[in-house]
Formats: sequence, C-alpha cells, structure tokens
Amino acid sequence: MIRVFGQLSLLFTVVFCNLGFSAETTANEEVAFDRVILPLLADKCFRCHGPDEASREADLRLDVREEAVSEDPDSAATIIAFDADASELIRRIESDDADEQMPPPDSNLSLSDHERGLLRQWVNEGAPYAQLWSFRAIERPEVPKTSRRSWPRNPIDSFILSELEQRQWQPAAPADSYRLVRRLYLDLTGLPPRPAEADAFIQDSSPQAYEQLVDRLLSSPAFGERMAWNWLDAARYADSNGYQGDQDRTMWPWRDWVVQSFNNNLPFNQFTIQQLAGDLLPQATDDHRLATGFSRNHMINGEGGRIAEENRVDYVMDMTETMGTVWLGLTLNCCRCHDHKFDPLSRKDYYSLFAFFNQTPVDGNGRSGQTEPTLRVPTRAQNRILSGFEEQIFELQSKVEEIEPVSLSANALNEEQQKILEKPIRERSQDDLSKLRDASPEDSDYKNQIEKLRENLANRDRVRSSIPKVMVMRDRGETRTTFILNKGLYNDRQDEVLASIPEQLPALSEADGKNRLGLAKWIVNRSNPLTARVISNRIWADVFTTGIVKTAEDFGTQGERPTHPELLDWLASELHSSNWDIKHLYRLILTSETYRQSSKSTLEQRELDPENRYLSRGVRRRLPSWMIRDQALFVSGLLVPNLGGPPINTYQPSGVWEDATFGRKSYQRDAGEKLYRRSLYTFWRRIIAPTMFFDTASRQVCTVTNSITNTPLHALTTLNDITYIEAARALATRILLDQPEATSQQNIEAAFRRILIRHPNPTETEVLTNSFDRLLERYRMDQELASKLIQVGELPTDSTVDPQKLAALTSVCNTIMNLDEALCKE
Amino acid sequence: MSWDPTLQNHLTRRELLGRAGTGLGTAALAWLLQRDGVLSAEDSRYGLPDLPHFAPKAKNVIYLFQNGAPTHVDLFDYKPELANRHGQAVPNEFVDGKRFSTMTGKANGKLLLGAVEPFHQRGGSGAWVSNFLPYTASMADDLCFIKGMHTDAVNHAPAISLLLSGAQLPGRPTLGAWLSYGLGSESESLPKFVVMTSVSKGTSCGQIFYDFYWGSGFLPSRYQGVKFRGSGQPVLYLEDPDGIDRSIRRTQLDDLAALNSLKLKEFGDPEIETRISQYEMAFRMQSSVPELTDFSQESASTLERYGRDVTQPGTFAYNCLMARRLVERGVRCVQLMHAGWDQHNSLTTELYNQCRDTDQASTALVQDLKARGLLDDTLVVWGGEFGRTPFLQGDLNNRPRWGRDHHPYAFTIWMAGGGVKPGFSYGQTDEFGMNVVDEKVHVHDLQATLLHLLGIDHEKLTYRFQGRYYRLTDVHGSVVTPVLA
Repeated sequence: MIRVFGQLSLLFTVVFCNLGFSAETTANEEVAFDRVILPLLADKCFRCHGPDEASREADLRLDVREEAVSEDPDSAATIIAFDADASELIRRIESDDADEQMPPPDSNLSLSDHERGLLRQWVNEGAPYAQLWSFRAIERPEVPKTSRRSWPRNPIDSFILSELEQRQWQPAAPADSYRLVRRLYLDLTGLPPRPAEADAFIQDSSPQAYEQLVDRLLSSPAFGERMAWNWLDAARYADSNGYQGDQDRTMWPWRDWVVQSFNNNLPFNQFTIQQLAGDLLPQATDDHRLATGFSRNHMINGEGGRIAEENRVDYVMDMTETMGTVWLGLTLNCCRCHDHKFDPLSRKDYYSLFAFFNQTPVDGNGRSGQTEPTLRVPTRAQNRILSGFEEQIFELQSKVEEIEPVSLSANALNEEQQKILEKPIRERSQDDLSKLRDASPEDSDYKNQIEKLRENLANRDRVRSSIPKVMVMRDRGETRTTFILNKGLYNDRQDEVLASIPEQLPALSEADGKNRLGLAKWIVNRSNPLTARVISNRIWADVFTTGIVKTAEDFGTQGERPTHPELLDWLASELHSSNWDIKHLYRLILTSETYRQSSKSTLEQRELDPENRYLSRGVRRRLPSWMIRDQALFVSGLLVPNLGGPPINTYQPSGVWEDATFGRKSYQRDAGEKLYRRSLYTFWRRIIAPTMFFDTASRQVCTVTNSITNTPLHALTTLNDITYIEAARALATRILLDQPEATSQQNIEAAFRRILIRHPNPTETEVLTNSFDRLLERYRMDQELASKLIQVGELPTDSTVDPQKLAALTSVCNTIMNLDEALCKE
Repeated sequence: MSWDPTLQNHLTRRELLGRAGTGLGTAALAWLLQRDGVLSAEDSRYGLPDLPHFAPKAKNVIYLFQNGAPTHVDLFDYKPELANRHGQAVPNEFVDGKRFSTMTGKANGKLLLGAVEPFHQRGGSGAWVSNFLPYTASMADDLCFIKGMHTDAVNHAPAISLLLSGAQLPGRPTLGAWLSYGLGSESESLPKFVVMTSVSKGTSCGQIFYDFYWGSGFLPSRYQGVKFRGSGQPVLYLEDPDGIDRSIRRTQLDDLAALNSLKLKEFGDPEIETRISQYEMAFRMQSSVPELTDFSQESASTLERYGRDVTQPGTFAYNCLMARRLVERGVRCVQLMHAGWDQHNSLTTELYNQCRDTDQASTALVQDLKARGLLDDTLVVWGGEFGRTPFLQGDLNNRPRWGRDHHPYAFTIWMAGGGVKPGFSYGQTDEFGMNVVDEKVHVHDLQATLLHLLGIDHEKLTYRFQGRYYRLTDVHGSVVTPVLA
C-alpha cells in the first residue's frame, strides 16, 4: 500500500492544491447555497443583517430571500438575481472605499477574493436559497456505484469509497486480526479481549466468524456499560448537586436504567420517550418514571441569597438546552437572551420549547439532592430484606395480639398505655411499643415479643430510608404560563408564549398533545429531520472519533457541514427503518470494511487528510481515561464485573475533596471488591470530579463531544496512580503463578499479550526482556525496594512468588500499560 | 509538525537496543530522538508566531485574586463624607434603578456606613490606604491604584468569570489560557499557567473555586491552568510509586521512548511524538515540582518577610512565595485565588483576619520581586470581582455584625511592576464611593490593559469557535493608557 501511495504522490499534490476549490464546487456545477453560500453569509453578514432584529443594521436582512433578492433589475433590492453587476451586495463587497465596503473594515471580518467570487457566481446563477441541510427531510439516498466493486462489504463502504475514488485516494489494507479484535472489543465493551479469545477468533476459519463475534459482543452486558458513559456525559449525570454545598444525590438507579436499556436494545424512540416523558405515558410504570430522571440530572444551586424562582428558571433552561443538544443537535443557549445570530431560531422558539419543561412542580427552593418529585427505587436485595421484615412483623404482631389480653391486666396500666392498647396492633409505632414493653413486668414472654417487634419495625424503617430516591419528572396540575424573559432574566417577563416547536421545523402533531409527551413523540417522529441524523452522527463519532458532522453539538448554520451527507442520511434512514435499533447501527458500522482498515498512515495521507475525515485508513486514538482504567483492571484480573448499584469511591490521593470543599466533604475510600468495579460506577462529585480520570466531561452541563488531549499530568496518572501499580502487580503475580518455570522472555511475552493481545515483535521482546533482566538484578540487590513495590495497593501479596521477580515483572507491566499502543485503540 | 520521513530510518534497531541496554539519560535520549526527527525540535512551549504584537512591558503575570470582593470603601477608597453621614439614609439619586443582590433588594433608605478603620495618606505619592492594610500601605509608592473599576455582575461566580474570562457564563478561555496560547512559556519543566488557591482561616464564607476560573474554554485543553493543590502534593500522582526509584523509572521511560518511537515509525501518528515528549515532561516535573516546593534554600529573612504561614501549604503566604518561585522558573501566568472577602456581616470581625492573612504576603511578594529585579517584567495584580456597598447590611446598633453587600458599581484594584505607573492612582468615585464619576475602568478595559502590557493587542488575539472569532474582551475593552509607565 505504501508503494501505491508513493506512485500517486504527485497526483495527490495536484489534487491537494485544488482542494480548496474543488471541495466546494466543481467546474460546471452551481454553487450550493447551503454548503457554500449560507455559511459565508452567516459568518460574514448575519451579525448585522441576519435573523436578530435587535442588532440588524440598515433594515437589511440577508437570511430571507424575499427580503434580499429581486428578479426585477429596477428594484431597490440588495441582490438582483442573475445580475451581479447590478447588485448592491456585490458592489459593496467588492468596494475599496472604507465607508462602503462590506463587511466594514472595523468589523474584524473580511472576505477573500475567492469568497467574493463565489458570491458573484451565486448571484449570477439567480441567487437561489435553500433550506439548511439539516432541516430538510431525511430521504434514503441511492447507494453510490464505485469502480472498485470488490472492496465494499456494505453500503457504508460504498459511500466512503465513492468519496475516496473522487479524490483518487485508496482505502487502506485491513488491520491485522489481533489489532482488529482488540479494537472491536474496546469499541463494544470498553474492555479488551483475553488473548485466548483473540486466538479463538483468529483460528475460526468460518466466513461468519467476525460477524458472529460482533453479535456476541453486542449481547454482552458490558455493552450497556460501554454505551452508558457517553449517555451519562450528555445527560450531565453526577452523584452530587454541584455548586456550594454540593449535596449528594441518589440518581444511580437511573444510571442503571440506562445500562439496562442499552443492553435490552430498547428502541431509541422508546428510549427517548421514556426519558423525556415516561411519567406521562398512558400506562406509566415505575420504570418509565425512573427513566425521566434524565431531565432531573441538572445541577441544584443551594447557595444562600439565591431567589428560588431564579433557580427554577435555571433548571428549566438546563432541561430545555440539554434536550436541544442531545436530540436536535442545536445550541439553544444563545436564544435565552437574543434571537440566534446565525440559525433561524428566535427567542420565541426558545421559550416555546422551554414551556414544555416549565410545568415542573420544582420551585427552586432548597438544596436537597432528593427534591420532589422523586421515585423510591428499592434494589432487589432491599425488596427481599423488606419483605422478610414484613413477614416477621406480621407474625409478631399476630402473636402479640394473641397473648396481649392474657399478659396484661387492665388496672396495672397507666393512661398512656391504655390509649396505645386501643390502637389496632398494626398501627402502633416503635415509640408506642417501647412504652408497652414494661407494662407487664412479670410476663417476660410478652416483653420479649414486644421488643422483637419493635426491633423489626426499626430495622424495616432503616432499610426503607436507605432506599434510593430518584428525582423524576411530573407536571404540576395547573398550567404555568410561560413568558419570553428579557436577556434571560427570571423576573423580566415579556410576551407570553405557548409550548410549541420552532417554526422552521415540522409542527407538533395535534394528536400527540402539547406537553412533554407530545414533544418527545415529535422528537422521534420520522418527519423530524434532526434526531436520526444527530444520533447516527454521534454513534459514528463514537467509533471513528469525529462525526460525519464534526460539530456533533451543532447541526445549525454555524456547525460544520457533513463530509458525507448522503452517508449520514443513509444511516439516519437505516435507524428509522430498523425501528430505531441502536445495536443494528453499530453492527453495520463495525462490520464494514471501512472500520476494519489498518490505522497505519503515511505522510501523504496525513498531509491530505490530517484528521482522517475521509477514512482512507482506520482510526487510531487514545482511549478515554475511564477505559484505560477499566482495561488495567481487566487485564490484571482484578476487575469485579458486577452490574449496577450505588457509586463507589476508589483509590484517590488524600485531601482532594477536603481541599476543594474547605473540609466539608471528606473522602471515605471504599475497600475490597469495590476498588475494582468499572469506572462507570465511580462516585462523581460534581465540584471535584474523580481525579483518576482526565479529559472527561465535567458533568455540569450536557456534553456530547470530548476532547482528547495529551499532557504530562496524564502520564503521571497512569505511571503512578495506585490503581495502575496494583494492576501491574496483580498481572505480574498471575503470570508468575501460571507459568512458574517460564523464562524471562516467556514472562514478558505473556504480559505483553495480556495487555496488547498481539504477539510482541522480536525488538519489543528484546527491549523488554533486557529491562526485565536488569530490573531483576537491581531488585535482587535491593530487596527492600522490591518488597515495597509488591505491596502497593490493597491486594494481598502472594507469598509463594519470588518477590524480586515479581517486582521486576511488575515494573515491566507498568511500562507496557503505558505504551502508546496500550493507551490507544489502534 | 516538522516530521521528515526520510530521517526516520536513522533510528535503527541496534540504536534502540543499545539505548535500552545502557540506560541512556534524558538528554542523550532527547538528542537522539531529535536527531532522528522523531521528536520535533519545536514543542508547545512556543506561542503564536505573530506574538507579541509589540514590545511587551511584562513577561509574566501574577494575579492575586481576592475572591468574595474586598470592601473598597474600607481599604482603599477614602470617603470622609461617608463617615460624616454615618447612619444616615443613602440619598435616592445614588441608588435609584440600580440592581443589588437579592440580600439587599431595593437599596433606597439603606444607611450609610463610615469606614471601619481610619485611613492615612502614605508615602511620597500620598495614596490613602486604611489601617487595615499596614504592609500594603508601606509600599504605596510601588502601586498603581485603579479606583474606578466597575463590572456588570452582582453575584460572585458570574462576576469572577466575567473578570477572568470576559463572560459571565462559564465556557470561555481565561486570561492565563489566552496567554499560554498566545505566548507559550519559557519553562521547560513546568506548566505555562499555574493556579493555587487558599482560604482565610476561620472564615464563614463558603465560596467554591470553580475550575472554569482557570479553564481553557474552547481553546485546546493543554492551555488550561494547572491547579496545584493546597495540601500534600501540589501536583497529583507526582511521586514515583513505592518500590520504583528514579533509575528504575528512567529505565521505564527509556523503554517507552524506544518502543513508542518504533510505533511512530510504523504508524506515523503524530500524537505518539507528543506522547513521548509529555512523558519526558512528566519525568522532569517529578523533579522540578519538588524542587519548586522546597523552600530550604530561601533565606530566613525572605521567609520572615512573607510571614509565619509561609511554610504551611494551602495558605496565601505559601502561595505567594510559590508564585515568585514559579515566575522565576519561567511560568507565564500564576493565578492565586484567596477566598473569604465576602463580609456580609463580619466587617468588624473576620475582615481583620482576612487582611492579616493577605496583607503581609502580598506586600512581601511585590518587595521580594523588586529586590530580585523581577518586578520589572512581572505584572502583579491584586483585586476582587466587585466592591462592597457603602451602605450598611445589618443593624447599625449591632456593630459586631456590620456588613456590606455586593457592589458592582465601583471598586478598587492595584497593580505593580511590569509597565504600570508606580505611586499612581487612577479613577474617582462620588463622595460615598457608590459610583465611578471619572476615569471609569470596566473589567474589559482592565483585560485589554493587561494584554497590552504583555505585548498583545486584545483585538487581535482571537480564536475561532462555533462560527465566530472570540477574544478575551468579547467585543469591548480599551487600553487604559494613563496607567502605563
């Protein structure tokens, strides 16, 4: 393949030089309005001549064709269709006179000659306007024909190859099987394979082996955990409120609902409806109500001096904006205060969406992390324990009822005790029972039974109060009127608005109703052009790092245009026609030849397409930090793969919470199994996120794109954090126990394979084996040093293993876990 | 990235093995990697090529941020009329139509409150400074006071965010991030932008240091401030684990460099190159940070100058000395944040502690920098997010609970060093210190001025994000030229 590129390099240079122009328009093609002209107008003109009435200059708006264009050469319109020379717009942008020139010289905006040429060409072509691409209905495009017929495995490949062929680029060779299988496991489960699993796959010669593996991984419970992380980022899930005080909350049953829903492959339309409006479904179950915790994951501000209504408005804005970003790919927050400078969304549109969420009974008071409305969500264990107590309580109550008339003589009782006895046994409180305990001093049996009953009631109540309460959605009885708020200020009300959908988008169905349920159904209605595109794009970005639309959070005018618009629409229509089957979409993408490409790149490839947007090679990128931790736990055999449950506090350097909260929150590290749960279950304190992760969303507001940076602090974490040293030690221990007679080289190979799955090449083996031998020598000379290393972490040290050998191998495992390849999927 | 593929082949297997076998040192390794074109000579230490826009007056900034808003009328802005009319209602024309915090609500009828401590004129410049701040008063001739500061926000977090990032809502790059992005840094072994926080002892104020106060917003996150912790290790995970010493760690890093270089040759991913250099930076920080925090070479007189707390991590005094040590080592921007200035009901109690905890160390820092010749190219800024109301919050008869509420309409900050006029005072408020009447300086003007002192035209340092160009001063701000030296 390298040779092919070498031969073509001259050609590439030519293509590359022309790329700036050819990507936008080809010789005989009209200039595309939505891809070329609209971004230009939005960027350079709309700030003063766009949808925002308040900042509009000279009463000119260019975002509406009727206002800007006329076919009549004698009209006063700024643009005369088909006649650039007669158009004021062209005269102004081409003017050298500082007083006339557009954009004005002091605006910091300017047009290049090329851009001026495009506008001139567009006007001469009649200045046609078209709807923003993302607002157009989704239609299933034709799968393109490619000249290399043998390469595509499924339509995704045809779309990708077609773009490559247009550029005269070649796709890459397939990745080698070991790398591919590791990549696949990480993408679907967030965990690497075991070497034996990889070997089994590689030895499986059936033509369906790969597809079968994909299906097996899709049905693994780890799939739901893998999917949940990104959804939690988008849903700004955390285990505390944020802000001052940062009270804890118990939203984790909602997190478990998300994991379960991904694992059950709940169709995405149901997934959506239940989370946004499960409480309003006709036969709403507790599970549906639990799902609505989604909207309640926002921060709660308990600062003193805050006005409740101001808080309440903040919360409703957060609900509205989160919905906008997650499902519609629209950045709504600008419209809080002003009409959107660039997108055709107005303040009225914003507050009309706000109105759907504005019916919450939450009033903004208080700082509790269990602010009503809430749902009690007992675990199965809690339910079992509770019913055990109830059974015993029932029995004891019957027994007491039976013996009471015999045990107690009425005249020995005081007035208070008499009163209690008048109550039916099942209505007596613990307090009542304490008062009766000594009513019959001679009858020890009565006393015992009463005491037992009281204890059982106490225990039951203790379990009951430990049941997590999840904040959920409900609409209050009386409709709250919604107003446009001037500059987003809670108390500066302007015009009244009704719940409705932005005018530029298809209307709400009357039958669905003008409430959250109607909104949720509208979101997943197939006439909605945004949802399926936005979701397909995020799934694409999850696999390939960058979405087909790079700005996953912004499908508006200012967002980037899709690199492969037809592919995006094809995926979106596939999501529709599969009844919103998320696993189906992953299966399609992961079984494509595009996905299976090698991630090796040449200089030419990187120069032509540094971000690999056209996928002429496979993806190579650093794993999210939570996955790096999960991988370390998994390869060392430490991982405790239990699903769900309350969040846990794993290893964290001391003083971090205390420092951030002025000592108000002290970190209580968990012990035993809890140290080895998947990262998903780590307690997320909103004001001071867990320190072992990096490049994560803050979980303060909705986040759908994560940065991947590369800093020395990350290196310090994976080199020095106890988690990683303990994992290296556990892995080394296992290897030495598994193969007590092995040579240095065999030990190294075993460690390498556990972490990187593939076999090391001779250089890798040699470098690492040399180090191992030297380290062993070193630890033999300094046995105290060795014994320190093999005691890092809680895991007991295996006394049957040679301590210096263990230390040397631990160091090498620590090295291998920090190799770039281990930190990346490749 | 300057990565010449023809050079790659120079890194032979034998070299790699030889290197692994001999435990090659950092310098030699870096030299080898660089010679082989594996590590580019250029790294992220450098800023933008067109910067600075003009000759800078200052190279570094130390921002001594006083969270919670120090009371200007008790510390710097001397208003005898306030004392004369102590206890009288504030005239309506001073507060009509103004927004105050929800604690005050409508300000009409509130009682004026004279300064708690007397003021005196100080030094040759005759600047008025309160008895609350005897140390600061002693260096009045080194300071440039801006008494006409005003802001838009009335609550802490939005006001701090506005001052440090140019916007009330979180999500924009902060001053330090812009400077790191634009100018890079001279330090090879420390981050470009370091943040340290502290809180006054025994304060009842519970303000939180949000990480967006030093965030990089939409700039790449390598420009965000690195927050050193206030206790224990200043940088997390800095110590080698038990049982791995420096030489073993060096072996590990040599192996990582060797094997990652092979990987780079095979896959060509430029992130691998960055990874190698960041691991080396991590290794250097493991030495440079402990050296940075080791005060044993500081003279007794220096330590004494900063005050008793200087050896206690987490105190403002400790952080001030760290700030000097950081800029000495080439760190571009040091942002100290000290909480506890929110005297709603503690002007006669906690304000004394607050001043005691900051006055001496702030002064020591400026004087220490001056003595070492560092003040010429280091700009020190001291101030909060707004001022405090000249009228009383609380009951006039209950002196121990006197307080002042948030006041965005006027406040004072001071600057020292790096190109500002010493012994100078700029801006006038009215007779009560309520509103700025002359030489107004909005926070955006302050930002423009700070950037100017560092050789940056605030209108030209921009970053394109979501379709528009952003800058620290948003679409506002002009340089306050009268304060420039």
